[in-house]
Amino acid sequence: MVARCQKASLRLKILLIEDDGENADYVANGLREEGHLVAQVASGAEGLICAMGTDFDLLIVDRMIPDLDGINLVKTLRAASHHTPVLFLTALDGVEDRVSGLNAGGDDYLVKPFAFSELVARVAALGRRPHTTAAETKLHVTDLELDLLSRTVRRRGELIELQPREFRLLEYLMRHAGQVVTRTMLLEHVWDIHFDPRTNVVETHISRLRSKVDKGFGAELIHTVRGAGYCVRSPA
Amino acid sequence: MFAALPRILRTSSFRLNVLYAGLFGCSALILLAVIYWTTGVYISNSLDAAIDSDIAELGNNLQAGGNQSLVAQVKDRVQQTPNGPMYYLLQDPKGQILAGNVPQAHGKDGRFDLKVPRTNSPGAAVRAHGITLPDGKYLMVGVDALARREMHKLIVRVFGLSLAVTLVLAFVGGALMSGSLLRCIETISQTARDIMAGDFSRRIPTRGTGDEFDHLVTSLNAMLERNEAAMEGVRQVSNDIAHDLRTPLTRLHQRLELAQRRARSVEEWRRTAEGCISDMDAILETFGALLRIAQIESGMPVRRFAKVDLSELLRTVIEVYQPMAEDKEQTFTADIVSELTVWGDRELLTQMIANVIENAMKHSPTGASIGLVTSQSPGTIAVAVSDSGPGIPAEERAHVFQRFYRLERSRSTPGSGLGLSLVEAIAALHQTDIELIDNGPGLRVTLRFRAPVQRALAGGPLAQPQTQEESAVGNGAPVVGRRAVQRRGGAEAILSIFLPKIFPGQPCPSAGKVAWEEPLGKKQEN
Repeated sequence: MVARCQKASLRLKILLIEDDGENADYVANGLREEGHLVAQVASGAEGLICAMGTDFDLLIVDRMIPDLDGINLVKTLRAASHHTPVLFLTALDGVEDRVSGLNAGGDDYLVKPFAFSELVARVAALGRRPHTTAAETKLHVTDLELDLLSRTVRRRGELIELQPREFRLLEYLMRHAGQVVTRTMLLEHVWDIHFDPRTNVVETHISRLRSKVDKGFGAELIHTVRGAGYCVRSPA
Repeated sequence: MFAALPRILRTSSFRLNVLYAGLFGCSALILLAVIYWTTGVYISNSLDAAIDSDIAELGNNLQAGGNQSLVAQVKDRVQQTPNGPMYYLLQDPKGQILAGNVPQAHGKDGRFDLKVPRTNSPGAAVRAHGITLPDGKYLMVGVDALARREMHKLIVRVFGLSLAVTLVLAFVGGALMSGSLLRCIETISQTARDIMAGDFSRRIPTRGTGDEFDHLVTSLNAMLERNEAAMEGVRQVSNDIAHDLRTPLTRLHQRLELAQRRARSVEEWRRTAEGCISDMDAILETFGALLRIAQIESGMPVRRFAKVDLSELLRTVIEVYQPMAEDKEQTFTADIVSELTVWGDRELLTQMIANVIENAMKHSPTGASIGLVTSQSPGTIAVAVSDSGPGIPAEERAHVFQRFYRLERSRSTPGSGLGLSLVEAIAALHQTDIELIDNGPGLRVTLRFRAPVQRALAGGPLAQPQTQEESAVGNGAPVVGRRAVQRRGGAEAILSIFLPKIFPGQPCPSAGKVAWEEPLGKKQEN
């Protein structure tokens, strides 16, 4: 049971391409519990055919699968102009592996073993992607407004002074409003840090951001989701 | 055909020597021919001159009205030299010999060579000049060409001898050189065999001559050094895993066993599961760090190197850690020179700096001050991180980079003991020196980067400056927009190759064929 941020999370059509049966069932069932529709295939070739033939919202691809490895599968899909978001699942944790995965056309990369909450959060973030591609100039969460052009943040019309990095942090959280965003996602997207600092970097910055955005306004917008991450949403 | 020859004769250096000897022999032969011919001509000319002066003397004697006729003069001279070196022949117009010591009659005008038969020897080669006189008589004066013959013999002998010596030297020298070459090669292949047999510490001995062979051997040894270090890294990792992962795994095992024996309630099981997950996370963290260190030590990501703006990187890292220091009531000051550039992997460099800063913050008490200072001197960029914490005793400084090494007083604080090992691995990959010195009080860690200019000049892949972004695109960045359109043709080709091979005769399943499984029950809210 994973903590969720919003009651009605998006119902995504997901194709899981993973040959390890036990792990595939674990992932698929977990995602179904989250309300997603999951189709499972166990080989790269089948995966490619299914992905080409059906309109999925998200592909979860293991990198080491029979017939056609994950990287080539995604390269082939991308070359054929299929832009379905792809999340790589892999046991390959090399410095280069992530880069090669993303270069092949993957949108995100998750190393096994992973916390399930991490997978759920990333799936949700990717599933929403196509809808947010339209150029937005302002992000809103109730009375909090973030202006991407003037780089200003207002709450109840009151200007909030933020450091550039705090602005990026809030922007990322607000772009994923209503979704759980994990520590690692924040580290990767806000600070471009791809390793695990053994100190509570994210916590510190979130608490600073909170003190500026939430303190004194009564209703809290930045929520901690225990064991998973953070979430910006209107007060329950 | 070469296989049958002794090994030394099959070496390339020997064959090269023989080739050179052959070429030298040919040129020597040409030289011989030229000298042979020119000395012949020279000597013939001087013989001709002697003949001409004799003929002139005969003529002068006649004109001076001497009482001797030409016949008498010739007879007189023949009497003086009946068997050479001068030869005379005087014939009347009918070809009758009037006087002379040449047995046969001749009638040839001009200069020529002829053989004069002799009674006791094979016959003398004679240089002669024949003239038909105004009264129809024929006069021929000749001189023995012994000098020319002897000279030619001498030339041939000298040349033959020196050619023979040259060829012998070429063969012997070739054999010697090939022998020494073979010995060098044999040493190298013997070392290679020893290494293959498992003796990884073996190195090829250099001869100290500084020649190209020594150069090759030095390079090979450096390669072997590198390989051994990589192998050692792998061995070290397996030891480390055995040593440092067994302990937490044992703890995990015990925890589960204990729960199996004692746990009664769901709550107790839940707590066990939570404990196990956190144990597991610690194990995975250690495991990941070990793998990463091993991977970095094996030198794999070097080809990802690009120009990195160190100043910007440092500012980012400081921005991340400064609030944490403030929360710990530590003062964190930074003095960063702008536009410092190094070659390296941005991600790894970030991790290295972050680890050093984390280390300083973690081991310094509340209220301590932490400083980051950069300095630049020609060829070097130094980044110094200092703290006012307890420092590291001098005798322990060398050990802190060892895996799992933790100072006695740090054992109680969380940490895997791998942070500085990782720093060292990344530094080594970037050819960066690390210096630990006493900050009085505290510790000062100085990272000395080599400025990129030098390394760019050193050649290799680093010679062409390339930013990280550019290299990412070069490797085939995510296919979007224009690139995707350009590639489409290729993709269809790929698909047409792939699909029939993978699923012969099977059509692509349509949306309807995908078996959807409905979500398992209704979601439960927290």
